[in-house]
Parts: sequence; structure tokens; C-alpha cells
Amino acid sequence: MNLPLNIDLQQILLHMLNFVILFGGLYFILYKPVKKFMDSRASRYAEKEAEAERKLRDAETAKEQYEEKLRNAEAEIDAMKADAAAKAESAAAAALKKAEADAEGIRKVARAEAEAEKTELLRRASREATGIAAAAAEKAVLGSAEEAFDSFLDNVGEGDGR
Amino acid sequence: MSKKQRNISLAVFFGLIAALLVGIFLTNGAEKTESVQEAMRDTVLHEAARINLFGLSVNPAMISAFCVTGILLLAALLLRIFAVPKFKDRPGKLQLALEQGVGLFDGLARENGTRKTRFLSAYIFTAGAYIFFGTLFELLGFQAVSTAGASVSLPAPLADINGAIAMGVTSYSIILFGGLFAAGPRGAGRALKDISLPISMSFRLFGALLSGAIVTELVYYYFSLSFVIPVIVGVLFTLLHAVIQAYVLTMLTAHFYGESTEKHEKKKKTSA
Repeated sequence: MNLPLNIDLQQILLHMLNFVILFGGLYFILYKPVKKFMDSRASRYAEKEAEAERKLRDAETAKEQYEEKLRNAEAEIDAMKADAAAKAESAAAAALKKAEADAEGIRKVARAEAEAEKTELLRRASREATGIAAAAAEKAVLGSAEEAFDSFLDNVGEGDGR
Repeated sequence: MSKKQRNISLAVFFGLIAALLVGIFLTNGAEKTESVQEAMRDTVLHEAARINLFGLSVNPAMISAFCVTGILLLAALLLRIFAVPKFKDRPGKLQLALEQGVGLFDGLARENGTRKTRFLSAYIFTAGAYIFFGTLFELLGFQAVSTAGASVSLPAPLADINGAIAMGVTSYSIILFGGLFAAGPRGAGRALKDISLPISMSFRLFGALLSGAIVTELVYYYFSLSFVIPVIVGVLFTLLHAVIQAYVLTMLTAHFYGESTEKHEKKKKTSA
């Protein structure tokens, strides 16, 4: 069969045969081993990347947990502070109450002692006044009235100067 | 640079220019052994120069195709034996170049092919390597003896229409059967919808490589300075075609393969 442009079916088939041989040879000799190496390297790097991402996620989770713990610790510290403040306040109140009670006791004792001392002083003054009166009466009876009066004044002056 | 060195450099420079001018004038009167029509016809059709291959009369490009395949397979074997076992996680220059080659076509397949991308990437890797190195092969200027006893320079395998048709039809078959296996009859139907694809792929390859060859041939034919300018033009055109055609065919194959293997989800019937 004469085709234009020198087209020859036999030569077309020969070219195809040549190309098929080349395709098979290049695929098995070169393409497949190179591609296999590239794929294995890519999968190795993908695994490494996945591993790194997993570790990063773990680290982020751990960080969040620590931050949560930190936040809880701050709250715990605040609670402990509040508790300690309440305790200190109640201890101070108790101490104040006790001090007031003690002061009241001291005041009572002092008041009683002062009362007793006053009573004693009054009793003594009364006794001294009675003595002076008795002495003055005795003087009046025994001496002149002026002398008695002077004597009385002197005694009174002595009593005040004491 | 001393004065003496500068004088020597200038003398060499002007001597080179003078030698080139002498060459130009000496070669100007050379007689053409064939007309430009004959040269163009031979470049396009390869009717005159036929080569005997085990009893078969074939175009020179057929020999080029087998040579390219042999060279590529030998290179692959050497790389497999000496380079691949020494691959490291941090690649050297050779490993990087190989990985770039494989990765480039694998990426192209993944971008376009929705399913069975491994097969597609292997195919376009081979097609890309074949077109690229096949196009560069003509730069080597290997000679063969035609059936008429003349010396023939071996062209790029795809500069022959038969090689280009083989490449286009193979690529279309990959798209068609890839669609059939991956997406069933619907996938094959999508590939059949683009029935003009093998023709367009074939003639695109052939036309692109041929245009470069024709321009180079014309420069060879008409230009007096046949030992300077054609070298630059030929190398530049060949390199450009090698890169562009390898990219275009692999990209088109990946694109149409992706379309044919795409699996459409069935639309759910909605009750009114």
C-alpha cells in the first residue's frame, strides 16, 4: 500500500516496537529503582514529620496541663492565705477578749484593794479624830481653853503635815 | 596583562578573523550537488536515502531510533549499576539530576492524571527522554551507508513521519486504554471523542522537528559561512526543539490521560 509522505506501516510498527522496548527497559532499569528510593525517602521523612508533630502535640498538652496546675496552685495559695488570715483574725480576737477579761479582773482587784484601803484610812482617821477629840477634851478639862485650842491646832497641823 | 601579551592576543584575534574571511571567499564558489527542492524533499520524505536493516529497507531515522534506544538503555544500565546503589538522602549532582528527571514527569502525571498516575509518569518519563535525547542525537552526526552506497547523516528519530506517527499513536493508545481500564467504557468514550488526537500529536511532533531541520538545511544550503553560523543555528534549534517537544508531548499526553481516566460520580436521583 502506497501512502503519501513516505508513510510506511511496517516502519511505524518498528518504531513502536523500539519504543516499547525502551519503555520496558527504562522502567525496570532506571525509573522504578529511582522512584522507589524517592518514595521510601519521602515516607521516611513523612514518618519523621508525623513523629515530630506528635511530640509537639504531646508537649503542648503537657504545657496546658502544667498551666492548669499552675492556675490551680494559685487558687490553692489564695485559699490558704484566706484561711490563715481568718485563723489569725480569730486568734487575735480571742487574745483581745482574754486581755479584756484579764484587765477587767485586774481592775476589780484594784478596785477592791482601793476600797479596802479607803475603808482602812477612814477607820484610821476616825480613830485619830476620836483620839484628838479625846485629847482635846482632856486638855480643855485640864488646861486653859487657849492652850487647849493651840494644842488642838498644833495637833491638827501635825496631822496634816504627816 | 603586559604589552607583549596584549599584542599576541590581538594578533590571534585578527588572524582568526582573516582566516574565517578567507574561508568564506574560498567556499563561496562551491557548486551545489543538488537543488534546494531536492534537498528539502530529501529532508522531509527520506525517499532517496534508504538503509538496509536485516533485509528491511528503512529510513535513516529508524536506525537513529534503535541507536537512541540502545544508548539510553546502556546509560540506564550503567546508572543502575554504578549510581543508584550509592544514592543518599542528601543527593549529589548526578543523583539530583536523576531525581529531578523522575520527579518532573511524576509531578506532571500527578497534576493531570487523576488515577493510575504511576504508569502514566513512567510512560511520559520514557517519552520525554526519548524525544529529548532523540532530538539531540542528530547533533552527534553519526553516519550510515545507504542502499545506494552513499553516506547518510542519521537524523532525529522523530524527524521521520513514521517515527512521529508511532509516537502519536502510542500516546493515544495509552490515553485510550488508560481511560478504559481506569474509568471503564465511559473513559474510553472520552478518549474516542478526541479521535483527531493521534493525528494532531503525530504531525505536531513531525512538523516541529521538521521545521527545525528545514531551517537548518536552508542555512546550510544558502549560507556561505557554512562552518560557523550553521553550527550555532543547528545546535540552538535542536536544543530548543528537544526541550519544547519533550514538554509538549508529555504535557498533552498527561492532560488527555487525566481527562480520560477521570471518574465521574453518579448523580443521585432526587425525588420530586
